Amino acid sequence: MISRRCCSKMPGNPCRALALALAALFAACSEVPATPAQAPAEMSAIAVPLGLPPMPYPAGNVPTAERVELGRKLFFDRRLSFNGTMSCGMCHVPDHGFTSNELRMSIGNEGATVRRNAPTVLNVGYHTSLFHDGRDRELETQAWGPFLANNEMANPSMGHVIDKLRSLPDYGGMFERAFGGRGPSADTVGQAIASYERSLVSGNSRFDRFRYGGDAGALSAQEQRGFAVFSGKGRCATCHLVGDTSALFSDFRFYNTGIGWVRGLPPSTVHVQLTPDYSTELTEKEILPISETVPNDVGRFEITLDPDDRWAYKTPTLRNVALTAPYMHDGSLSTLEEVVEFYDKGGAGAPEQSPLIVPLALSAEEKADLVSFLKTLNGEHETHVREGLQQSSYVSTGSHRY
Amino acid sequence: MKFTPIRASLISVAIAASFAVAIPANADETCNSPYTASLIKGQEDYVHVWTLGVKGMGDESDKLVTVDVNPASKDYGKVISSVTVGGRGEAHHTGFSDDRKYLWAGRLDDNKIFIFDIGTNPAKPKLVQTIADFTQKTGYVGPHTFYALPGRMMVQALSNDKDHGGRTGLVVYNNKGEFVEKYDMPTGKHGDVMADGYGYDIGINPQKNALLTSSFTGWNNYMMDFGKMVKDADAMKHFGNTMVMWDLKSMKPQKVMHVAGAPLEIRWSLKEGDNWAYTATALTSKLVLVKQDDKGEWQAKEVGTVGDPSKVPLPVDISITADAKGLWVNTFLDGTTRYFDISDPEAPKQVYQKVIGSHVNMVSQSWDGKRVYYTTSLLGNWDKKGADDEQFLKLFHWDGKALTEKFSLDFYKLKLGRAHHMKFSAKTVQAAALSDKPQMSLAQNR
Repeated sequence: MISRRCCSKMPGNPCRALALALAALFAACSEVPATPAQAPAEMSAIAVPLGLPPMPYPAGNVPTAERVELGRKLFFDRRLSFNGTMSCGMCHVPDHGFTSNELRMSIGNEGATVRRNAPTVLNVGYHTSLFHDGRDRELETQAWGPFLANNEMANPSMGHVIDKLRSLPDYGGMFERAFGGRGPSADTVGQAIASYERSLVSGNSRFDRFRYGGDAGALSAQEQRGFAVFSGKGRCATCHLVGDTSALFSDFRFYNTGIGWVRGLPPSTVHVQLTPDYSTELTEKEILPISETVPNDVGRFEITLDPDDRWAYKTPTLRNVALTAPYMHDGSLSTLEEVVEFYDKGGAGAPEQSPLIVPLALSAEEKADLVSFLKTLNGEHETHVREGLQQSSYVSTGSHRY
Repeated sequence: MKFTPIRASLISVAIAASFAVAIPANADETCNSPYTASLIKGQEDYVHVWTLGVKGMGDESDKLVTVDVNPASKDYGKVISSVTVGGRGEAHHTGFSDDRKYLWAGRLDDNKIFIFDIGTNPAKPKLVQTIADFTQKTGYVGPHTFYALPGRMMVQALSNDKDHGGRTGLVVYNNKGEFVEKYDMPTGKHGDVMADGYGYDIGINPQKNALLTSSFTGWNNYMMDFGKMVKDADAMKHFGNTMVMWDLKSMKPQKVMHVAGAPLEIRWSLKEGDNWAYTATALTSKLVLVKQDDKGEWQAKEVGTVGDPSKVPLPVDISITADAKGLWVNTFLDGTTRYFDISDPEAPKQVYQKVIGSHVNMVSQSWDGKRVYYTTSLLGNWDKKGADDEQFLKLFHWDGKALTEKFSLDFYKLKLGRAHHMKFSAKTVQAAALSDKPQMSLAQNR
């Protein structure tokens, strides 16, 4: 039964070992093993901060400075949605921990409903599969999903996006310089965005300095007790892995926590907080006339059609978790305290729930310690935030003008 | 864009000129900027309805629909013109230029602003200019309110292009459609109030040098399915809770007032010398009076309740009578219009109510208050669904006691779309001198 709940489908990645080897190679020699025609003009070693492993990347897409810069421009360019309102960065907002703190679940083109919470893209280069359901395994191809999804950026075709890029003068030469003469294409767009996303590393948190930097004073006594709960009684580290030399705080596997199953059982009443001081209760019947038909969501099952994968979602990283509220794949928990309470009670109690999720019987002090520890995982990524915000507004980027 | 002395001085000159020459401009049918130059005296000929396109209906595009509303016309109660602007961008509000020759119409999603020539032939409006770089020039999203200044158009935005949240600002264009200046809504602590930086409506009282703004929410919320948003506790945290009184001449915030629950439309009393305005809060269903106290300081205070706040009837558009004794208040979710006696603005009393439809949003009345028009659409993804998704323009006559329906145009049956904002026009516009109608010395924005 365990295998039914814990999907255990750790995506094998035959390129990963090679990529890691290449990463080490590039770190050592800073040279580009490509043909002269494809050789980037400038290398950009992705400097990995304390607590993170080397950043893998495929042999065909060395993350040069020019590709990273181009990818950043693409990531924040609202013109690349069908009606010019959405970009990757409108849901992955730099000063919201590269997610969106204002919404449980994203919305896209013309306000269309997206069924899931926008995950952070900080450290996304380490993920072995992408999206909450793991439907894509390569950053190079992942970007096209939102570009083409009707409820996200809603472009009618890849060619439509590529034609638009070819028509925008402020992109003139950027692709060619980054890709050895190659212009905008399905490949180069994906490669540039992937390069930018790989650059979004965030480490050297207080926890990293404590765990990997030899700074015993980096965590307070309470935070150290919280780490003990995290690693022990709280069972968090079972899925949110912490290694000996680095930590990604995820096993990138898929689990049914019960959250998705519960979401399919709408409550008869909804508590609506109208202002900080005023709330009311509305019945489902009262809300129904103003509600679209809520799309169903069966999680990883939608990709594998394996009944064992129903309502299973990928383990998220916990790095920067204090910055990336709300939580869970549907953003249904607003605070870390709520998340800890959820797991302390043993999850949602769904019949197909992972057996790994059981009541924890944490004391109030242990829960407070655990939350305190989670707040030590904020990494250093101010440069990414500053550059992202700079790029995200037309006003601050003259090159974005029509 | 930095605030430049040159641009600031241009605006100051324009506003100063308004004080010197146009104080105060002739009022219009109770709902336009006080700087609007002409007044329709008596019967309006046309109602222009800024209409949202609907996927799967007709050309699926937003359009300006013109309806003949003169009972003497053979086309009374009929659509006589429809100008499609292409695509859906969340058509929302409109506003006349100060000379009343042009109608500016905005879209909250794709941020385009369309300028129609209404003056040449109001029966057949013509699209003459499209401003497509509103966001590129300002960083703001959602051009909402269009409010005429002398030679200028002030636009209140709702959101921004960094996170689609509610922080936003005011923008000033000249009448050629050229960007002049932008002003961020205030943020941070102002006195005892934390300014949220949100925006919604504009209302100016020239005699008091007072520019009043209200606050709604950002793109994330106003574009979201209404039912989804109500259930999203994090989204519900992001509604405006403030109103800002600005010094009009300097365009600097003078006071930030705490008004919880998304204060929306602003209606100044039109009586000369009055120093008060009304708003209604969407989420908490309150009528709020903004008035100077004995020391001349602006204060906002709750003076009434609209319907049963626990059921969130959602007060939306309001319309004040020319004599400032009555106020129409629409509540969207129960499709009801309510009439309040505000002879004592400190103590409004509801004296009448009528269900207009399954939902109702906008209300516009003629200057004499005898004709009251209603439309349905609030926002594309907030309107009711299924059988409750009625979309119409209705005209009622008001005799002081009851509304009597005169015609109803089904915008879905006509394959037009969702009927939203209304503006009146007339074949012959007669300017009213201030001396003719001293009580009309002020008006507000819509």
